[in-house]
Amino acid sequence: MSNGGGDSGSQQRELPGKRKLFRGSDFAFSIARMAVAQICESVEVNSYQESQTREGVRFSSFQESALETLTDVGVQYIQSIGKTAHLYANIAGRVDGNSLDIVQALEDLGSGLGFAGVSDTDHCLADSGVVKDIIRYTGEAEEIPFVYSLPRFPFSKEKKPAPSFSEVGAEPPDEHIPIWLPAFPQTKLCDRSEETNAATIEGEIPRKENGSSLPSMQHSFDGGRLDIHKSTKDVRESPEAVVEGNPFLTAPLRIVEKNVSPVVRPLEISNEVVRTNHVPDKYMSNNHHIPVLEASASSDKINNKNWLAEFEDGEKEYVARKQRTLVRFKIGTTKRSTCLAKNQSFQEEGWFQENEDKREKKSEIKEKRERIDSQLSTQM
Amino acid sequence: MNHGQQSGEAKHEDDAALTEFLASLMDYTPTIPDDLVEHYLAKSGFQCPDVRLIRLVAVATQKFVADVASDALQHCKARPAPVVKDKKQHKDKRLILTMEDLSKALREYGVNVKHPEYFADSPSTGMDPATRDE
Repeated sequence: MSNGGGDSGSQQRELPGKRKLFRGSDFAFSIARMAVAQICESVEVNSYQESQTREGVRFSSFQESALETLTDVGVQYIQSIGKTAHLYANIAGRVDGNSLDIVQALEDLGSGLGFAGVSDTDHCLADSGVVKDIIRYTGEAEEIPFVYSLPRFPFSKEKKPAPSFSEVGAEPPDEHIPIWLPAFPQTKLCDRSEETNAATIEGEIPRKENGSSLPSMQHSFDGGRLDIHKSTKDVRESPEAVVEGNPFLTAPLRIVEKNVSPVVRPLEISNEVVRTNHVPDKYMSNNHHIPVLEASASSDKINNKNWLAEFEDGEKEYVARKQRTLVRFKIGTTKRSTCLAKNQSFQEEGWFQENEDKREKKSEIKEKRERIDSQLSTQM
Repeated sequence: MNHGQQSGEAKHEDDAALTEFLASLMDYTPTIPDDLVEHYLAKSGFQCPDVRLIRLVAVATQKFVADVASDALQHCKARPAPVVKDKKQHKDKRLILTMEDLSKALREYGVNVKHPEYFADSPSTGMDPATRDE
């Protein structure tokens, strides 16, 4: 029982469970500490002075760590008595302990220090020196009851076992589940899914009063399948999501033409020359204004794809506000290009050198498109 | 046979001491509460419906703790006190249960308690920075 160097950092990491032996936060341990403190308080050492007067000296205070150590030692003493007594009882073929078992345990523990008659092999246990020592102690020491009145402890909540199937009156869902086993508990998810599937499942699988979890999960799975079947059959009906809870049971999305708001042609700004910000397409949604590269537009006019750039004109802002608000981000400054299409590619190249590589690729593709357009326009 | 009878009688007598003691235990209330002792005994596997046995264990533990405490007190007293002024503080020595005395007392009972002198944050505290592995 060598308590090494207390709780050093490495020990904490290695043996987290062992640390618990020392902790005083435990209720039982703190009570034991109080009891040990009371015992220590009552210990008196009589010293005889020269004048033959007895002087009783007692402890006036304790070091906290010393008290905790002593409490821990005392607790382990009790535990070792119990362990040894239990061992002796088992050796004798019994489960419950006996007074003689305890006496034997005390002899084992006290044999290191020694007591009267330890060397006798043929003595009766009840006559053991240990017992005599204890009797003498109780005769001499003053009786100190514990300070606080303890409630009956340890608190053992009478844990109600879960009611069985037969107690609840429910039928086990499958044959292999016997009736005396505890019933399946209800779960919230299964209740919800049961409600939504109520319409689809027409009493195919009988429902329990408990709403047992396993069969209701089966419900929901079956219901999901049924739901999917129905949705594929019915073209008109839009597939409903089964529950918010289980996304895996939602019906699959069908490829249907979505009604998208019509494309608004920004006629007001088609005359403007705006430097395009070549933003990757993934930021666009269907509802965005898709600029149409019109052949009728002048050569050096390119419609801005997205209105994210700085607006120098109030008209642009007006049009922009009509549409959905987008994530606004600036990519450098917009330059109004007044140059011709020929120079545009050159300028765009220069422009792109500032931006990321991603944009370069996309912009190259658009560059080609614009070149073609500009060529067309110049031809025209 | 005679011997056997005699020992048999002796046994009864010896038994009486124990049984008497156990009976008297109901009057004596040990400092360590019964519930606590029962809890720790149950933790180590010993079960017994008899309250007297639990009290017996409680008294035995109390005796043990008292013995250790008295030994520690003797060690504490035996230490030469740092008397600065003889006249004033000769008899007012406050005895405190310290780890030192406790470890000395426990060593006789087979319990080795080593108390560190100071606490360090990590194993390498206080070491030469050059030798530290970091």
